[in-house]
Order: sequence, then structure tokens, then C-alpha cells
Amino acid sequence: MDILEYAIEKALELGAQYAEARFEDKKGTELLMKNGSPEGLELKVEKGIGIRVLVNGGMGFASTNELRKESILKVVDKAVKLARAASKVRKEPVIFSEEDFHRVYYEVKMKKNFQDLAPEEKMELLKKIEEEVKDTDVNVPMRFLEYSDEVWHKIFINSEGAYVESVIPRVSVLYNLVVFENNQVEQAPFVERGFSGGFELIEKDEPWERAVKDVKALKKLIYEGRSPPEGKVDIVISPEVAGIAVHESVGHPYELDRIMGREAAQAGESFVKPTMLGERIGSDMVNVVEDPTIPNSWGFYLYDDEGVKARLRYLIKGGLINEFLMNREYAAKLGMHSNAAARAISYKREPIVRMANTYLAPGDYSFEELIEDIKLGVYMVSFNEWNIDDRRYQQRYIGREAYLIENGELKEPVKRPILEITTKGLWSSVDAVGKEVEYYPGTCGKGEPGQGVPVWMGGAPARLRNIVLRR
Amino acid sequence: MIKMFEINEFILKKAKEMGFGDVVVMGKESNRRQVRFANNEITVAKLWHEKEADLFVEMDKRIAGTTITDMSKENIEETLKALQATLKNMEPKKDYFGIAEGPFEYRDIPETFDGRIVELDEPNEYVERAINKAIEEGAKRVAGVLYTDHNKFYLSTSNGVEAMDEGTGIEISVRAFIGDLESGHGTNSSRMLSKFDPESAGEKAGYIASMARNPEQGPEGKFSVIFDPLAIANLLTYVGFMSSAYAAEAGFSFFINKLNKKVASERVTLRDMGNMPNGYGTRKFDDEGVPTKETLLIDRGIFKTFLLNTSMAKKYGVKSTGNAGMLQPHPWNIILEPGEFEKEEIFSDLKRGIYITNVWYTRFQNYVTGDFSTIPRDGMFLVENGEMKPIRNIRVSDNMLRILENIEALSNQLQHVHWWEVSVPVSTPYVLVKDVGITRATK
Repeated sequence: MDILEYAIEKALELGAQYAEARFEDKKGTELLMKNGSPEGLELKVEKGIGIRVLVNGGMGFASTNELRKESILKVVDKAVKLARAASKVRKEPVIFSEEDFHRVYYEVKMKKNFQDLAPEEKMELLKKIEEEVKDTDVNVPMRFLEYSDEVWHKIFINSEGAYVESVIPRVSVLYNLVVFENNQVEQAPFVERGFSGGFELIEKDEPWERAVKDVKALKKLIYEGRSPPEGKVDIVISPEVAGIAVHESVGHPYELDRIMGREAAQAGESFVKPTMLGERIGSDMVNVVEDPTIPNSWGFYLYDDEGVKARLRYLIKGGLINEFLMNREYAAKLGMHSNAAARAISYKREPIVRMANTYLAPGDYSFEELIEDIKLGVYMVSFNEWNIDDRRYQQRYIGREAYLIENGELKEPVKRPILEITTKGLWSSVDAVGKEVEYYPGTCGKGEPGQGVPVWMGGAPARLRNIVLRR
Repeated sequence: MIKMFEINEFILKKAKEMGFGDVVVMGKESNRRQVRFANNEITVAKLWHEKEADLFVEMDKRIAGTTITDMSKENIEETLKALQATLKNMEPKKDYFGIAEGPFEYRDIPETFDGRIVELDEPNEYVERAINKAIEEGAKRVAGVLYTDHNKFYLSTSNGVEAMDEGTGIEISVRAFIGDLESGHGTNSSRMLSKFDPESAGEKAGYIASMARNPEQGPEGKFSVIFDPLAIANLLTYVGFMSSAYAAEAGFSFFINKLNKKVASERVTLRDMGNMPNGYGTRKFDDEGVPTKETLLIDRGIFKTFLLNTSMAKKYGVKSTGNAGMLQPHPWNIILEPGEFEKEEIFSDLKRGIYITNVWYTRFQNYVTGDFSTIPRDGMFLVENGEMKPIRNIRVSDNMLRILENIEALSNQLQHVHWWEVSVPVSTPYVLVKDVGITRATK
């Protein structure tokens, strides 16, 4: 792309010590269905260029969707001016870590290319969910369904020799199902399935099966659900619940920009400090992995948006804090190299430290072994409400589908068990981790303006001892 | 210079030739500037320049939308062809009833445009002033963000609307820290430079942080809670979202089946106001060209209407509230009517309770019943006989309708809140709510 090279050249001429240019072209389709009626279709289009520069230790960023040379020149000029002005309100300069850069092209192949499919074929997928849910004996008066696909083409270059071009397609389905039975209402909101790859992945995943399972479980919960047990009990969290827990209480607090205060006015800071590397945060059964390179994952990439090659990262190893998530700016502050966590959601956003696919690494317990010696406990299968404080230490997950465990056996459904616990309390309570790993997609929010990035969260199920559930 | 209305005209003409029915084109030209800061220094400065047109088309009750960024005639024709091909075999939306019938007359809304903001060369001094004010109040580390906005909207529809609006804005959000656990937050948003007060945001952030020194683990149970405007604004954003008829139909609202029923204490009157002078969300017209107006959502405790576009209004046999977005209705500025109390009276009359200065991460277990929790952040205080003791690590765990029902007192001054956690601007007083559920971690 000539205009990218032109942008870099001009930025250096205008006085930038470092410059990068990122071109992005996104094309996709979104289809909605509400209560059986097609709600409309969106052709998603986004194309433009973002320029980021360092001048005298100040950082400037500017973007435009006008791809003519004169617009690019204006944007470069602005970015340099902004950076220069910003450098005057800094105590120390922004410095980037040194990295090896590559010239690469990579793409994720689709077996069934969704760009070749007519929208009515995609709509069939939503219709299938609609029909299967209506075929159950559950009363589901509100059904909101969404199909989305997108091909994301990026070219990144910087003044230090990086050239990374990638083409990543993503496909997903989301639903909100509201169950009214026996004068009570329960719902499965924002349940999502998502992959990087072609249409075949979402077809194979059969989201309608999950939807049917969800509404049946909610009906059963309404008719047969009981209150969670009182006092200290044992909890088994499913891969879905383990996933949200590792994302919120491990991934986020290990983002080094957050640790160092850059997100303080928005998503907050962290209970983790740079000096805590090597400190114990959980039992030795706990291993948490962050890996952008999982094939067909929702959070997939091979090079980050600073051109650094991605790799698997152990955030927690044997219960010890092992590694932070870093971009070049914050890695440099610790005298380290970036571990390729810089992501931007659009050409008009700066790359910042993000997760990709975070999971609780598997242990060697079968599910039966996890529950066999539990006298009284709860198995939390899925969750609705969740949140965590802005230092990532006080969290809460409320079960949607959950079951009582009595004398090693799964029993009747449990209504809304509330796990409200500190991060250390949670990970120190784990005494067994299952073998089977599952992943769940989500849109992780951070940054200002907000950058919702696709991530997978998941892992193996885990057993937590001696927990008081709120009721 | 590309003339936006000429592009709109071209799109409408082509769309008509190709057999489309209802067509809406919203041309937008925006210049947005951001200065982010943390640890008392600027972390990044940004500028966005965007020119694009949002497009809505209908063909035999099949509807679609897209955004056009390349304004060349070739690309516009290609986009329309793609939309036509896409819609051809789709099933119709059974409950589509059209867009508004124009033309309309529009009034200028006071205090929505200020040429001084357009001409402002460099806003870093406002950042420095806010940081310095927070430090004066006792802060050690100050973080935040400043924006300047200049937007132009060019709306044309196949139903005879041609409307233009131009607006500006400047706003700042400041968070001040002393230690790890002691912080405060202040914001200030204005459409006019003369009414912009960055120091007030820095001062409040620094003041709350200073008051919050040495917090102790907070209690759990039921408490009377004074919500700062920043905190209640967060909850009212969700009330606003759930007032949309679209949210209700999609199962994301606790106002489902609540029309003309009591949903709040009689003390509560809540409006949406698209034409609010100096409102950060204010615009002359909605996405169909209907002039924006004031809409009573809750009148002395009774839920009066959902927010509607023309199609949904026709479906329910009422009039549009002037809240159309391209696909679904949404609020512009939410306003909770003030009460009769001085802020100080509310604090001094509280024998035992909690003062929450800010919240974030509001999430619902059940949107239809309104069961939710949210997490206080920044200064939070146990109030006992007029004395404030800093506390930490608590959660508001309750039900939205119960909170609205349990509102006991409102202060007599409004604050206009708009920041990262409050995406739709909210004007609100201090609010006292009784019997609020407060929880904390069990391990």
C-alpha cells in the first residue's frame, strides 16, 4: 500500500521519531430477527487509515476514512502536531521496547465462504433457532436473534521495518430468550457463539441445540428450582463460569497499561503491581493461559497491532503470577519485550493492551471425579449477572443454570446461586481442575473511546472448596 | 469540498429509480479531538476526521441499512445495487409501518453550537487546569480525558425531509487518586466553551479522593443510600435504554407490561429531552427528521410511554416520540426532575446510611424483572449523624424497580453527567433511596 509508506515517510519528515500506519477494510453482514420477524439487515462497511506517531516522547494518533493523498497528509500532520504538543505535558517520554519485525501475510481460510452466501441462507440459521425453540413445550414470548459475519483485512507498517497483512473472517450468532412460565420470568440474555473462519464453523456448532437446552433448563429451574444451600459448601464451576472468572480476575488485572495507571479514569487500575511477578495468587492447581494463536478462535491473531509476533502466555503458572499482558510502551517500562497484546478494534482506534483467548488450563480430573466426594455443593453451569470492581479484586457471578450436588451426585436445579468472592479467595479455593476444555466468545470492553474486541473465555471446569454462596 | 446534500439527493434519486420505497440518508461530518491523561501527564492526543453517510432503505417492507464512506457516484450505485440484491429474497418485516412524513419545521435549539470550540487550536491547557485543581485538593495522581466535538448532520429522506444541524461540545472527565484505594471522580460537559468548567471536575475529583482517605471494609445489609449525580446517572442510563420500545420487544426491559402503571415513587418524574439547551445529546431532529422534543417517561411514578420511532408508534396506534435511530429508538438526554431539598439537608437529615459517589459495571441477572448489581467506585462513605467514614469493597445488589420505588428525596439542583460509563447524557440531582441492598465478598 503506497499511501501507508507515504504516511510513514511524511511523519518522519515532519519530525516523528517513530511512526506506524494501519489500513483496515472490514466488510460484513448483520441480520436480526425479533420474535419471529426479520428485523432488517445491515451491510457493515468500514475502511480507513490510522496513524500513530511518537514525537519528543509524546504520542499522537489521527485517523481518516478519506483515502486521498492530501487527506492522509493532513492526518499525518495532525498526528505529529498532537504528539509534539502532548510531549510538553509529560514527565518522561513514551519509549517503545525493541522488537524483531517481520514482513508477513497470513489469512484464515473459510471452507464455506459466507461472502458467497445470500442473506436468506444466513437467515435460515436464525430461523432454525426460532423454529427449534418454538417446537419445545416452553413458553418463550421474547426471542431476539442476531447473525453477524465480517472479513477483516488489515495492513500494518511501521518505521522500524514491520509489514503485517492479515485477512481474518469472523462469524457469530447471538440470542436473548425470555421464558415465561408459572407466572415467573427467567432469561438467557446475550448468549453468543463465535469463531474466526467460515460459515461451516457456526453450522457445525449448532447454536439451535444450545438455545433449546437453555430454554428447557430455564423452565425446569422455574418449576423445580430451590434456594442455594446455606453455609460453607463446595462449588464446581463449568468452563463457561471459569472462563468469565479468568477473564475478569486474571486477564484484566494483568494488563500492564492498567497496572501502571493508563486506564485509571476509565476501566480503573489493578490490585496487581509490577513487583508481584512470582507471588502466589492461587492454589498450585491453577494455571491460566492467554493464547491469541488458537486456530479458529474468536480472539485469533498471529501478529498484534504493533507488528509483534504473538505467542502463548502463562498468566498464572502453578498458582503464581507469571507474566503480564504487554504492549511495547509498557514492556519498555519494565525493560522487557512486548508479548504481543496490543490490539485495536478499528483503524480509528489506537492499539492498547488486550486479551485474546484466556482459559483455565486443564488438569486431570474427569467431571465425575470433580463431584464424587462433594457432600453438599452446587454445580454452576452458566451465569447471567457478573461484575468486578475496578481493581479486579471483588467479583460476583450469578448462576443462570445451576444444580445441587449431594453426596457426589447432581440433583435438582438451584435458583440464582451467587458467588461473591475476592480474586485470591477464588483461586486459592481451587483444589481440582477438570480435563475437558471449552471456550465461549465475548466482547471485551476497554479503552476510551470504547474498543469492544472479540475474545474467547473458557477453560476446564474447577472445584472450589468451602465457599459461602449468597442467596 | 463535497456537498453533502448533493450526495443525499443523488442517493435518493438513484434509490427511487431502482424501486426502493422509504429511504433515509444521514450525512455526517465530524471532527473529534481527544486528550487522554494519566499520572498527571498526557498519554496520547488524538484527532478523528470522518465523513460518511448512514443509509436506511426499504423495499416492500424489507429493510436494510449500511454506511457509505466512499462518496463517489460509482460506489453509491454499487452499494444500492448490493442492498437491492440482498433484500430481493428476504422475507418482509411484518410490523414495518414506514418512516415519518415530512417536511417538518425545525427550531434552533439554544446553546448547541459555539464557533469558539471549532476554532480552539489546542485544548491542553484545560487538561492542565483540571489536573492542577485536583492536585490542589490533595490528589497525587490524576487521570482522565478531554474531548472537543464539532459535528454536522445532513438528513434527507424519501418522505420530503431535508434538514441540517451543526453542533459543538467540549467535555472532561477527571479521576483523582491519593493511594490505591482512595479516589474521586468529577465530570463537566458543555456545548458552549463559555459554560465549560474543567476546574470543577478536577476539584470534585480531588475533594472526594481527599475525603476517602484510609477506607475500611464496608458493611452489608439494607441501607439508606445517597447517590451522587455521577452514581445515579449510571443507573438512569439503563432506565433510558430500557424505555425504548425496541428494548421492550427484544426482552431487555423492566418496563414490559408496565405502561400506565406505577413503576416508581410519586417523587419521580423522568423525561427524555432531545431539544435540551446545552445538552450533550441534543439534536434538532431524529433519524427520520421528526423534530426532537421533551417526552415524559415517568410522571410522578407512572410509566407514561416507551420511546418510539414512526413505525413502532403506528404499530401501537400512537405518535412518534421523535427518538428514531436508524433501526431502533433511543434516548437523547435523560432528565430526572429535581426535588425540593438542599443537597446539604439530605446529608444532614440522614441518621445512618451510605453515600456513594460513583458506580460502574452495572449488570442484570434479569432484564425483565430488573434484578441487577453495580459496583461503587471512588469515594464511598458510611454516614452517621452527619459524619462521613470512608469505606470500600461494597456492591449495590438490588432491583431497579425497587430502587425507583424507594426514592425518598431529591436535591434541588441538576448536574449534567456524560462520561465513559454514562453514554447517554443524564441530568440528575442527588438522590436518597431507602433500603438499598448492599453486599460484599464472602471469602
